[in-house]
Amino acid sequence: MKQHLLLPNKYKKFGWFLFCPMLLLGIIAIATNYEAPWLNLKTFALISGFVFDKHPAQPGFIEANLTNTVLGVLFIIGALLVGFSKEKNEDEYISSMRLNALLWAVLVNYSLLIVAFLLVYELPFFTVMTFNMFTVLLLFILRFHYLLCQNKKALSDEE
Amino acid sequence: MKNNIKVQRAIANITQEELAKKIGVSRQTINAMEANKYVPSTVLALKISHLFGKKVEDIFELDEKDA
Repeated sequence: MKQHLLLPNKYKKFGWFLFCPMLLLGIIAIATNYEAPWLNLKTFALISGFVFDKHPAQPGFIEANLTNTVLGVLFIIGALLVGFSKEKNEDEYISSMRLNALLWAVLVNYSLLIVAFLLVYELPFFTVMTFNMFTVLLLFILRFHYLLCQNKKALSDEE
Repeated sequence: MKNNIKVQRAIANITQEELAKKIGVSRQTINAMEANKYVPSTVLALKISHLFGKKVEDIFELDEKDA
């Protein structure tokens, strides 16, 4: 059962370097609504516009604050590298743990989303949606490493 | 599925680590198989039985849970 969609192990370390700081900064940025002033830049937008606009603006260059863009993109890249790089000793058992963790994460994520749909309304729901963009990857990484740890523990109990 | 890898390993007098190296998996995998926590792929089951010079059925067998 070889997994062909995984990156070599060396990318995992690089992934952690992006994942950890971006997770921390992302939570702070969402909680405080922070926008870095030096990230007010001109950027290409395929689709943009405001809540009250009847139609989205034509594709073109706009002035925008890129704090969320940078944090979101770097977090996702980091999380993908962490979650989908091979372990040092990747084999079929570790691959099966990875898939189990992914299944668990999708189930838990959407269960939480159902609860949020039922209990959260109006503006706070946008915060839920913002977090929910990242929670599948986050839950997957947490669960996978929990399983790996448990397994390492089972080994040291054996000795 | 049950297996007697631990017994075979004792007969051959090799450690989990050595067995893992010989068939190209991690020690966790051997440990999980011996604890019946993981059912190996057919490829891995064949590799293990070849290594011990046995038939797959001599090492692996179905149990009640597979009914």
